[in-house]
Amino acid sequence: MTPDRRDPALGIHLGVVALLAVLQFLLPPFHHGMMARIMVLAAYATGYNLLLGYTGLMSLGHAMFFAAGMYGTGLTIQHLGLGVAAAFVAGVAAGLVVAGVVGLITLRTTGPAFLIVTMMLAQAFYLAMLYFNEITMGDQGFVLAGLPFADPTVKYNVALVVFAACLLGSLWLVRSPIGRVLVALRENEERTRLLGYNTALYRLVSVVMSGLMSAVAGAAYTLLFSYVGATFAGILYSIYPLLWTLLGGAGTTLGPLVGTLLMTYLVDVASGLTTGYLMVVGAVLVLTVLWAPAGLVGGLRARWARWLP
Amino acid sequence: MLALTALGLSLVFGVMRIVNVAHGEFFMLGAVVTWYVSTLAGSFLAGLVAAPIVVGAVAIVADRLVLRRVGYEPESTIVATIGLLYILQQLVLTTYGPYARPVEAPLYFRIDFPWFGYSGYKLIVAAGAGVLIVLTWVALSWTRLGLFLRATQQDREMAQAFAVPVGRIYTIAFGLGAGLTAVAGALIVPVQQAHYLMGLDALLMSFVVVILGGLGSLRGTLVAALLVGLSDGLVSVLFSPTLAKIVATLLVGLVLAVRGRGLFGEEPA
Amino acid sequence: MSPLLETQALTRRFGGLEAVSSVDFRLDRGEVRALIGPNGAGKTTLVGLISGRLAPTTGRVLFDGHDITRRPAWHRVGLGIVYTFQITSVYRRLTVHDNVVLAAQRRRLRGLTDWLALDREAVAGDVAAALATVGLAQVHDQPAGALSYGHQRLLEIAMALALRPELLILDEPTQGLAAAEIDALIGLVRDVARQATVLLIEHNMAVVLEVASRVTVMDSGRVIAEGTPRQIETHPDVQRAYLGR
Repeated sequence: MTPDRRDPALGIHLGVVALLAVLQFLLPPFHHGMMARIMVLAAYATGYNLLLGYTGLMSLGHAMFFAAGMYGTGLTIQHLGLGVAAAFVAGVAAGLVVAGVVGLITLRTTGPAFLIVTMMLAQAFYLAMLYFNEITMGDQGFVLAGLPFADPTVKYNVALVVFAACLLGSLWLVRSPIGRVLVALRENEERTRLLGYNTALYRLVSVVMSGLMSAVAGAAYTLLFSYVGATFAGILYSIYPLLWTLLGGAGTTLGPLVGTLLMTYLVDVASGLTTGYLMVVGAVLVLTVLWAPAGLVGGLRARWARWLP
Repeated sequence: MLALTALGLSLVFGVMRIVNVAHGEFFMLGAVVTWYVSTLAGSFLAGLVAAPIVVGAVAIVADRLVLRRVGYEPESTIVATIGLLYILQQLVLTTYGPYARPVEAPLYFRIDFPWFGYSGYKLIVAAGAGVLIVLTWVALSWTRLGLFLRATQQDREMAQAFAVPVGRIYTIAFGLGAGLTAVAGALIVPVQQAHYLMGLDALLMSFVVVILGGLGSLRGTLVAALLVGLSDGLVSVLFSPTLAKIVATLLVGLVLAVRGRGLFGEEPA
Repeated sequence: MSPLLETQALTRRFGGLEAVSSVDFRLDRGEVRALIGPNGAGKTTLVGLISGRLAPTTGRVLFDGHDITRRPAWHRVGLGIVYTFQITSVYRRLTVHDNVVLAAQRRRLRGLTDWLALDREAVAGDVAAALATVGLAQVHDQPAGALSYGHQRLLEIAMALALRPELLILDEPTQGLAAAEIDALIGLVRDVARQATVLLIEHNMAVVLEVASRVTVMDSGRVIAEGTPRQIETHPDVQRAYLGR
């Protein structure tokens, strides 16, 4: 762990970003939209991974963070006429508030209880969005008009920027002192407390950061795809990041991207085959838990690259 | 009805200390199987009998294949049962279709009081559920199996030391829990219709009941079921079903957050 | 000279049991104090109250003149009270080096800017020093869980040292160690005592005689005797308390 001039991990991450950038010139246009979606959702998964992979807390309620970003941005544009930048900030701020509240509520909850509490809170959030459907348009949602992101190339590159920011941000975080403490929290909470760390505070910070990144993804999604709808607040969108992260590898920075990429294409293919395509979601979950608990990148890392963050 | 479903969940949780997110799907399966059997065989009663057997079998298979391998570890189990939920739900969607289908009630009469009328079938359902609950209670308290179940629930290691076949008990508990829920699903089919998405509501409500009543406490579950059923009805009538659900979900989340430590898994040392 | 640590009428009840009964305990700077007593005497509880792992039922704890009774454990570590676990509690999946880094970096993280620009070289230096002192430098990149029990104990002490404690609390440090390891530990404690005050819970009287400057004896939640090791050895109350062992 001696500080090195060359930083292979950073190199790999930058390489991945570069690859994604180049990809847009190689892929046919249909896939541009798909990839843009994937990159934003991968940003969401990266945020989720901060909590699951590094702090060791499994949440089933992240949809409320994503949706907070989405509604914060979408509603302010639709009803308050805010501009893109201001709306983005509003979405992120909404995510911050929701994450803060949830973090405070769950300060002393761990393990399966944490799972259920977050699931319940997210469900309540979802139902509330349905309840107020004069404003939110419930499940059907509404479309935002006049956003400057219609061009596929613009979509792709903005999504790329968002994802790259989240990816590199998470890389910096997990290698920083804070990241170490979060891992310590995951590994042995009492020990960490007795090393002088205010574990409650770190818990809260972790939830907030994770929620914040998810909200950023949500806000970006709304801006890029001009759509706001309660489906994104539903339990499926809390299960998705869990799935993507687990499959890709919790506790690895690149895992979420891999998982999101694979699963989104898989679901896309499956939906062409059968109406019951979510079965694929179920099957992959079960298989991953049984056969590959470390995920794809996690497995690779254990074999060949233990130094990868 | 709620009590039955919640009872199943409570049983599974209490004995095995895991949360089965697919529990609602067992409910749904019960309803669907009942529909199939009663449509094919022309008898609702046949469906009522077949449902718990079929669903129980499914549960046992799931337990053997998946849950055992995972060692009943809390978080992995939850993830795996989520997977199970989707598999079951979507399988039903593809075979049974997305529509809700009704089944004829075996008896149809109304008892009309001056101020409200109650379909006779509903009364019978409530009575039937009550009977089952009492039966379960009796079985738990008096039979050897019941003794094993309770022992494993209270202290798994001690039970093992006393040669209680814990592994099989777990499977049985899981199967029983599923079966109970399936019966609930079967019973409700004539009243509500069988639909592939009906599991989610049942799941949510069972969670509410089990958590409010105290995890692992069967008596508490029953009391909570009654309370929740009544209040849910009240709130739904006075405000709106969605609001009722919002309140219920929030309540559960907050209660669990406050009392969550040490409720799941081992007590912190 | 005012004591480094002081407890006043410190009491802790667990249900009906009074594990620590109105204990007045004082520790001066630079001491090596041994805390002995039969099982169940309340030693670990007392130490838990001092380190902040437990909250007292009544009574006060003062450190360097300040009332820290209400302070949580993590805060007390920041003040310089460091506790090492009776049953080793290291990060099994992290390397030895990373274990100590967590302790060493804590010391340097005072302000917000430290979070963003921590001096990693300095931290690495602290880690190396701590590991060298306990003699674990060669295994620095092994996972902590792979170490032998004795080495894990040493790792605990290294982590404590990296925190530069004012008061180091060792809870039965020689338990489970081989004779040679015990000797090494005695030397280590003497080294540490040059820079910190040490409070150790010990059952091994030989170690106590070697290392302690003063001894406090507890039984059934109370302090029954206090003095130099020689005095305690021959104290009638102490002999009575230990008779049943």
